[in-house]
Amino acid sequence: MIARDRNWLLIFATCVALAIIYPFFAGGYQLTVIRDALIFGLFAASLDFFWGRTGILCFGHAAFFGIGGYIMALVTLNDAIPFGSLLGIMGAVAGAAFVAAIIGYFLFFGGIRGSYFTIVTLAMGVICQQAAVSWSSVTGGDSGLIGIPPIEFDLGGLHVDLSQDLPSYIFVSAIVAMTVLALWLISRGRWGTVLTAIQDNEIRAAALGHNAPLRLLVTFVLSAAIAGLAGALYVCMAGLVAPDLSGLLLSTEVIVWVAVGGRGTLLGPVLGAIFIQRAQQTISSFNPSLWPLLLGCVFVIIVFVLPDGILSIYARLKGLFKGRRRAQ
Amino acid sequence: MDFLITTLLNALTLISILMLVGLGLAISFGLMNVTNLAHGEFVTVGAFAVYFVQSIGGSFWLGLAAAPIAGAVVGCILEFAIIRHLYSRPVSTVLATWGVSLILQQGLELTFGLGAKPVTPPIEGTLDLVFTVYPAYRLILIGIAMLTLLGVILLISRTPFGLDIRTVIQNREMAEGVGINTRRTYAIAFTFGAAIAGLAGGLVAPLAIVLPQMGVNYLANAFFVVIVGGVGSIGGLVAGSVFVGGLTSILNYQISPSLAQAIVLLAAIVAVRLRPNGLFNGASR
Repeated sequence: MIARDRNWLLIFATCVALAIIYPFFAGGYQLTVIRDALIFGLFAASLDFFWGRTGILCFGHAAFFGIGGYIMALVTLNDAIPFGSLLGIMGAVAGAAFVAAIIGYFLFFGGIRGSYFTIVTLAMGVICQQAAVSWSSVTGGDSGLIGIPPIEFDLGGLHVDLSQDLPSYIFVSAIVAMTVLALWLISRGRWGTVLTAIQDNEIRAAALGHNAPLRLLVTFVLSAAIAGLAGALYVCMAGLVAPDLSGLLLSTEVIVWVAVGGRGTLLGPVLGAIFIQRAQQTISSFNPSLWPLLLGCVFVIIVFVLPDGILSIYARLKGLFKGRRRAQ
Repeated sequence: MDFLITTLLNALTLISILMLVGLGLAISFGLMNVTNLAHGEFVTVGAFAVYFVQSIGGSFWLGLAAAPIAGAVVGCILEFAIIRHLYSRPVSTVLATWGVSLILQQGLELTFGLGAKPVTPPIEGTLDLVFTVYPAYRLILIGIAMLTLLGVILLISRTPFGLDIRTVIQNREMAEGVGINTRRTYAIAFTFGAAIAGLAGGLVAPLAIVLPQMGVNYLANAFFVVIVGGVGSIGGLVAGSVFVGGLTSILNYQISPSLAQAIVLLAAIVAVRLRPNGLFNGASR
């Protein structure tokens, strides 16, 4: 096992252990705060899986989060549909994946990469938010939909009821941990290697027999599906869905979480999401319009000071000490 | 008949604005390969310049003169402080310019306060054309936009600076080799694009809802203009503007604006799939 993989697993195990012991020290409210942050962490990991592995930035990822959220809300609020929670989650994942498949097909097979892809996904996010606002007969317009029930379902004799704080925390943590681990295994396996090859030189990868557009498309669809799952989980925990969930600001925030946590690490973005949201809550309590201003500054600072995320401070310090030792 | 003419003029209004906003974007995105997500803010700054001049008692025309200056100042600072350091890092440019865009939006909101800002047009009333009656200001807007475009075409095709730009675009290394200061050319071209976008913002201010967040819609549409039209020629810019602006105006009559935008987006994606080099530039890549 390579040292880098061992380090990753070590950090992962530490995080899981912290997540397990956290409920023994924290009360109900703090649990829900971390739970919601973890859902956004899952969302960040989904973006990182695509952005970190392919180097292509999706600027409208919240569209998939919002699509998942709205589908979940519509399915569970409709009394005529049985097994609302399970069907809702499936519908949310499928809906987000479907939209990603259509848009991704045209873009990837049309040879759209890099900045062009970023721009088109940005517009996609803008349009999704507008659609959520203006299609008010279905989406509830500006005020959104409220009264979404908590997740509750029976699966193989197991009754899952997430109306209480602790079960919902455990459920979300387990899903986040399993998804991050699965994404990591995919990234470091053959699939991830081919993606890296495509990122380095797509023509060469294609010459070696890899269907580059298809690989990118499948990765994008998987990433969108997980974002849809995160959206579905979030609206059930929050009890409401609003146009902001598919908006440009959330699309932007998730990029910051990934960039601060460290692109391509999968775990870093989850931690980034948790920490930045704590910071956001603190700052917003002083003045709500201060947050986007600071967010903008964070973007500029990341680019110029910390291009590899917060975790890179550690690596850089290590490099600094090593360099000094060598100099002596 | 008059319905047809009105639709046509409405489309022409939108197309003119898109051409002006898209021009700066075609320079930075298409030619310098810089994805500037703060481009929409040049439009916002231009519109706010007109509002500001009017609010301290100046006339609309004074405001309209201030708009491109405001856009140019912001663009020049942006180029100098951020973009020129990131020419080799495209994703970083995206992040940094988006950060600047957020800072500008919130800065405007903190300075001027919440809510839409009123801007009064210089001429009220309508003009009686033969077939239809049309707001006079919109006709002026179309006229100014066309004149500006003509000026830009002349600038690029007839002046020494235009020659420099064309040279740098064709081959940057070679241009440096023959003694053109490419950094300076890029900086001037970028500032120039920002000024034109600021002018577009000033022109559109009496018609639009002037908000700090107004830029993003122009940003998305202008990018479509550039992507659909293809980069590297004024013809592509015009083709892209006609495609996006025309389709939007026609659809706006039939369906709700956001559905219309979604359809335009889909049409743009399909157009890019079919003609990756742009509508104007032939089929092969």
